[in-house]
Amino acid sequence: MEFSITEYTHCDLIDISGRIDSYTSPKIAEVLKTLLADGHTNIVIDMKLVTYLSSSGMLVFVNAQKQRTRQDRGEIVFSNIPDCVLSSFKLAGFDQLFKFFDDVVSAVGRF
Amino acid sequence: MTTKTFRGNFKNLAPISDFIISQVENAGFTANEIYAIQTAVDEACANIIDHAYGGEDIGDIKIDVKKTKTGIQITLIDSGKPFNPNEVPEPDIRSPLEIRKERGLGVFFMRKLMDNVRFEFSKNEGNILTLEKYRGS
Repeated sequence: MEFSITEYTHCDLIDISGRIDSYTSPKIAEVLKTLLADGHTNIVIDMKLVTYLSSSGMLVFVNAQKQRTRQDRGEIVFSNIPDCVLSSFKLAGFDQLFKFFDDVVSAVGRF
Repeated sequence: MTTKTFRGNFKNLAPISDFIISQVENAGFTANEIYAIQTAVDEACANIIDHAYGGEDIGDIKIDVKKTKTGIQITLIDSGKPFNPNEVPEPDIRSPLEIRKERGLGVFFMRKLMDNVRFEFSKNEGNILTLEKYRGS
């Protein structure tokens, strides 16, 4: 799993590639924790190159979104989510917690 | 039947997935079914490390993959303490998302994505978890 962060005027974009599983999800949790703690609460997560998302990875996003909701600031949204990954979100019922955009431009434009 | 043994640590989840995909990709499953099998095995192995062994690098996970007439049968064997995923209560996915308890999501995925999840405990071998997936299910 690899990631990069691009800072835009109104949001931050995290590009993630590879597997998000029990081995790699703590790194994503750390990144999100740092961004949220620094007041960067508008976050686009681009999933175009993500090949797998486990329940532990999904819960990292869910917990970050819940934390952000409690603080009543910003929003975490996804772009380019692969169908199989979206199916897992739907199976768990967590698709309702997030907005999913077809591409990065419309996701970043959300903010 | 193909058998491979991996050390029980999270770093090995990727090689385990690669092994599973290599076994099922030419077995007549759709891409979505392959992803479902990959997910079920990944969640099962993460649970073995977390719950049966209670940590990384404590023991091994032996994986048997058997192609059957109708699909695939994958057996995961570990020597950790008894951990029966079928005894893990399902998360109530209808409860409000804000208060939902998230324990058991991996087992929930396993049950939803596979056609059969069977657990046995053997004094000699340990936990034996059998996951079955039928083509077109």
